[in-house]
Amino acid sequence: MAMPVVERLVNLTIALLETRRPLTFDELRRRTGYYPQPDPASARRMFERDKESLRALGIPIETRQDFGMEDPGYLIDRRSYELRDVDLDGDEVAALALAVDMLGREVGALPLAKVAARAPDPLPLEAPPTRIDLPVTDVDSFAPAIVERRVVRFAYRTADGRTGVRTVEPYGIVRRRRAWYLVGRDRDREGPRGFRTDRMLGAIEVLDPPSAFVVPDDLDLGAVVSGPDVPTVDVVLEAGPEGHWALSARGGVDVGPGPDGTRRIRVEGVDPVRDRAWLLGVSPDAGVREPEGVRDGLRAALDRVVALHAPGGTTAVVA
Amino acid sequence: MRADRPQPDVVRMLTLVPWLLERPGASLEETAAAFATDVATVRAELEHLDFCGLPGLGGGDLFDVTIMGDHVTVRMADELRYPMRPTPHEALRLLLIATAAEQVAGPDVPALASALTKLHRALGVTPGAVTLLDAEPGDDVRVARGAIAAGVRVRFSYRGRQDREPAVRTVEPWAVELSEGTWYLHGFDLGAADGRVFRLDRASGLEVTDERSTTAAPEDLRSPVYEPGPDDLEVELRLAPTAHWLIDAVRPDHVEEEADGTLRVTLRTGSPEWLARLVLMAGGGAGVVRPDALRERVRSRAQEALDRLS
Repeated sequence: MAMPVVERLVNLTIALLETRRPLTFDELRRRTGYYPQPDPASARRMFERDKESLRALGIPIETRQDFGMEDPGYLIDRRSYELRDVDLDGDEVAALALAVDMLGREVGALPLAKVAARAPDPLPLEAPPTRIDLPVTDVDSFAPAIVERRVVRFAYRTADGRTGVRTVEPYGIVRRRRAWYLVGRDRDREGPRGFRTDRMLGAIEVLDPPSAFVVPDDLDLGAVVSGPDVPTVDVVLEAGPEGHWALSARGGVDVGPGPDGTRRIRVEGVDPVRDRAWLLGVSPDAGVREPEGVRDGLRAALDRVVALHAPGGTTAVVA
Repeated sequence: MRADRPQPDVVRMLTLVPWLLERPGASLEETAAAFATDVATVRAELEHLDFCGLPGLGGGDLFDVTIMGDHVTVRMADELRYPMRPTPHEALRLLLIATAAEQVAGPDVPALASALTKLHRALGVTPGAVTLLDAEPGDDVRVARGAIAAGVRVRFSYRGRQDREPAVRTVEPWAVELSEGTWYLHGFDLGAADGRVFRLDRASGLEVTDERSTTAAPEDLRSPVYEPGPDDLEVELRLAPTAHWLIDAVRPDHVEEEADGTLRVTLRTGSPEWLARLVLMAGGGAGVVRPDALRERVRSRAQEALDRLS
């Protein structure tokens, strides 16, 4: 009976790990006794298939043609293949096992078995009363670029609808609300930037070589995505009962009575840009008194909403 | 080939060897559990591994795999004493998993922080390369977790999607959950006499009581994600690029992009008031195409707001 494919693939891996110098196809064939087909071309094809299968699994088979070699040779460098010196202790393995339980055993168990293969076995921890739902495999297509530090190229549509091609050194990935952002240095525009992955058009191209750039040490990827901090203001609103509740939930303080049975509520640290949508959301229940600039901005936005939703009106939304 | 026949996996086999070299006499069950597979698959892979080793004429130097009862020992396999490096996919997934768990449950599982430091170093990835915003538990999450640990009820004022006014709820807390950037509380609602899921950002004044919780959590907690119902309103919106964020707040059935970057979105909702507020929040960047009743609701909310500013 022919040797099962998985056994041949495991053994080919071992043969290429154990050799000190590159082995040519003929040497491999002699040493292993594999690829016995009388037709050399079909034997060669079978070997090429095996080699590509192993590479697709992430096994780093190198091709080398040293001086004086007639044919290329193959080997696996142990330093590329082996994971050494992780040095996890039992508590850390237990903590990671819990993390894998919380977020998905199907995707997490095998990588954990690799990093914990030589670590002590822990006592299981009791699960915390916390659940998290995160689509872990969403960012797979960016993994080679981030982990191997390869430059990527992709077509991108900005928030205002313009499209163009970006060439980026990817530093990492950020999750914010329901969106993923690839953060890195845009080679055509200086400074780190964030790119929403759902605004990338088509497949991303991952370029050679690996280790193409250095990631800055003290970079805060979250700050790149959140944007610069805008000076915040204190806002005073006059609120009916429902507005009172919504403002209290956000830390607003009652500072006395307002007109028509309302209460005056002071909310500190409001970001006029990022909190504008929140202010609009509570605006039917709470009117801004000060500052004047925030009040004017809301009035203009509300005028647009009324015009847009007038009976028989247009539905031309504005940016 | 039968569909349920064990499928041996080369990478798992290459990982089983170093794992088992460190754990002589491990049981097949614990091995299968550690690799998230079943005993039959592990057994099949071990049987293959017994024919593996350094190939050569005369059979080569083969591994010695012994299965005695339910226990397995691997010897003579020094060629594979170290595991294979995680692939980039595996590395990023594992960092994502550990980072997310550390952020949501860090204080309960302190070893996660040091494990993450070691993982970043071993995998050659800069710390911070995986960043999750909005995942930091706030005070309300910490208070709820404290109540779960102590086995006591919590009380808070809550305004659900459909509620015009908030009401006080007393809840026996079961678990907190972070889903799509929002924290939820699962628990037994004494008022409704049933299990409920609450969005913690719609709760105010969450406090721990000294009343004992008496209802155990069910095996499976419901997902907090909104499922459209048959009585829901069908809505069509147009969103300018500045209002595209609104897509993240709803579950669209269909999204179509127009030439100028405007999105035409259809969705269903059981809470028109909530949706009207969302449209209001876009300040003119979002418009309701249909139904007319929702257009009127948005217009009258905006008019009420303008009256308050006059």
